[in-house]
Amino acid sequence: MKRKIISILLAASMVASLGLTGCGNSSSTKTSDTTQSTDKTDTTKDTTAATDGDKVTINWAIWDKDSSTYWTKLKEGFEEENPNITVELTDLGATDYNTVLATQLSGSGSTFDVVSIKDTACYSTLIEKNALEPLNDYITTEGIDLSQYNGITDQIKANDVLYELPFRNDTWVVYYNKDLFDAAGIDYPTNDMTFAEYDKLARSLSSNEFGKQVYGAHYHTWRSTIQLFGALDGTDILGGNYDFLKPYYETVLSEQADGVCQDYATLSTASLHYSNAFSQGNVAMLNIGSWFISTLITKLNAGEYDSSLCGNWGIVQYPHPEGVEAGTTIGTVTGIAVTSASEKKDAAWKFVQFASSEEGAKIVAETGSMPAIVTSEISAILASVPGFPLDQNSKEALTPTKVYMDIPYSKHSAEIDAVLSTYHKDIMNGDISVDDGIAKMNEDVQKVLAQ
Amino acid sequence: MENATKCIDVEKEKMISRKKRERKKNVVAYSFITPNFIGFAVFTLVPILFAFLLAFMEWDGSNQPTWAGTSNFQSVFSDSLFWKSIEHTIIYCIGTVPITMLLSLLLAIVLNQKVKGRAFFRTISFFPYVGSLVAITAVWTMIFNPTKGPVNAILYYVFHVANDNLPNWFAGKLVMVSYIMFSVWKYMGYYMVIYLAGLQNVNTELYEAASLDGANIFQKFRYVTLPQLRPTTFFVVVMLTINCFKIYDIAIMLAGGGDNKLGSSATVLVYYIYQNAFQFWKLGKSSAAALALFALVLIVTMIQFKGEERFAND
Repeated sequence: MKRKIISILLAASMVASLGLTGCGNSSSTKTSDTTQSTDKTDTTKDTTAATDGDKVTINWAIWDKDSSTYWTKLKEGFEEENPNITVELTDLGATDYNTVLATQLSGSGSTFDVVSIKDTACYSTLIEKNALEPLNDYITTEGIDLSQYNGITDQIKANDVLYELPFRNDTWVVYYNKDLFDAAGIDYPTNDMTFAEYDKLARSLSSNEFGKQVYGAHYHTWRSTIQLFGALDGTDILGGNYDFLKPYYETVLSEQADGVCQDYATLSTASLHYSNAFSQGNVAMLNIGSWFISTLITKLNAGEYDSSLCGNWGIVQYPHPEGVEAGTTIGTVTGIAVTSASEKKDAAWKFVQFASSEEGAKIVAETGSMPAIVTSEISAILASVPGFPLDQNSKEALTPTKVYMDIPYSKHSAEIDAVLSTYHKDIMNGDISVDDGIAKMNEDVQKVLAQ
Repeated sequence: MENATKCIDVEKEKMISRKKRERKKNVVAYSFITPNFIGFAVFTLVPILFAFLLAFMEWDGSNQPTWAGTSNFQSVFSDSLFWKSIEHTIIYCIGTVPITMLLSLLLAIVLNQKVKGRAFFRTISFFPYVGSLVAITAVWTMIFNPTKGPVNAILYYVFHVANDNLPNWFAGKLVMVSYIMFSVWKYMGYYMVIYLAGLQNVNTELYEAASLDGANIFQKFRYVTLPQLRPTTFFVVVMLTINCFKIYDIAIMLAGGGDNKLGSSATVLVYYIYQNAFQFWKLGKSSAAALALFALVLIVTMIQFKGEERFAND
């Protein structure tokens, strides 16, 4: 009997230790402090920051340090003005940035004083976790004029409180390879193109000739590359009803079946990045955010991309549904925030203020990236970046008439985003029909909203 | 009379000294166990117990946890993705455990023979287990790429499978087949080594006796090798099952695409737990799903222990 009990206990512990270590990590994080959170919000503006002569080091969470040059340039620009404060960069990588950052900011304390906020999902998660310092008081004290952000700050307010300031503001555009249009003898796309015209154009450009394949369009594996088309009429992507996505999925799937764009499964299996797809010189049109401009310029200038394949490019405004004003597009805000756990909040705020100021915007613009503040001076800086497309269409493409947020702020943003991504994969892989996929999106998002 | 009391005294003394010796032995034993147990307690036992508690709470890892009763379980059990992930995990286990076991046993038996280059082939078989999962999956996804991979190229050019019918190995129903194939291939070598160790303990006299009784090679395998390998097989099955239920890395690496996300046709239970914990920060719901995994593994292991006991008694 005793032996039996021992063997049962042993079995149970074996199962527990092996079976649950898969989630053991989660559990061990869970054990961390459970009581700190409310204290965090009460933390008053801190004090440890620079009294004259004191050296302060602040830590800034970022992604892709090597491929985006503005991180280092902002740090250098700031340090020049504030010799007492040193900014350390911690690169968390782009793919799992949100998860890693939220994990680092869980529990008590944090090594980060300043964090970059990649998207709304990340922003809302961190606000829910009370990990970000409310900035309203700082903004009032410093008398920062929010109108310089052109209304972006109104869209990222959470119950009238700002927890981040925007330092980059990208809009979605269509990149096109002029050489492929020239070769096909087809006119370049324009800034006023309906979705149906865009589809027709993509079809007329594609060629399945062996060895000389041309894809009229390219859709990266993200859900946004297809779903955002449907949000251009202002439809709320968090609304819980996704029937409006049907025509866009059907169009893209039919393009896929006809070889107009590369197969989703192939792209997903090969983890092919859209930049690599465009650089191969066989993609005529690529829809992606304006952040790709600086990547393209940098890689072409460095000789990493063959300029004979993709060096002759331009941008036009996003194709819009019938009845929607031309120049309407989707915006993605990149923000910068102070962590509530930081012990050097004053220094951190100084840096946030610098990065989101006009001065910071100039530094960002010098690298060919789109800053959150755009003045005529900044537009001139952007245009002077070697390789920046200067034709009239491209210039106009970056001045949209109406911008909707890719995903607005809500406490459910992260979860809804995940639901939409899950069934996007299923639909694009052909695992379920468009109707079934959309029905599942509706069902699951409704459940999230009901919580 | 006096003699009898003396005798009892001596017995008593003997007993006391035996007890003392035993206690000393125990102290030594516990002192050896303690360092390991402290690590286990701090990093595994306490978090597991905490997870049990957390399953009845709502917590985002930062704010105060609040009592949630059984709402986490209700939320998990009404989630179609949870049931999908359970279904996929079970299919994966049912596919992986017997195939890995059979193939590793076969490999072990073959490589236990005195064949030329035995050490070389044993090493080769162990290679996949040693290789880095990330590197190996990168190669697999290239080989099985639906339009550019050599496997589909062979199907197309050699077997004349129509372009539209070429399989998409990492989506739909086939994704489970891919998981199973990959897992069997990668872990077969490891379990082969365990079986090889087991085979060294098989008493060779039994084979001689069986030969004398006129047993053929299959009868020898059935009536000598298999029963002798029973403890090894039991160990292999339990370990395989537990490891199978934990599938996560293989799924993410094979079907995660560039953004490490799984569609509903490729999702598995640990991914569901991970997603709820670290993307939605619903640690309570995630713990409730983790408890479901715990219960599942515990039940299966208990059944295996019971089965083993019955076998042993037969």
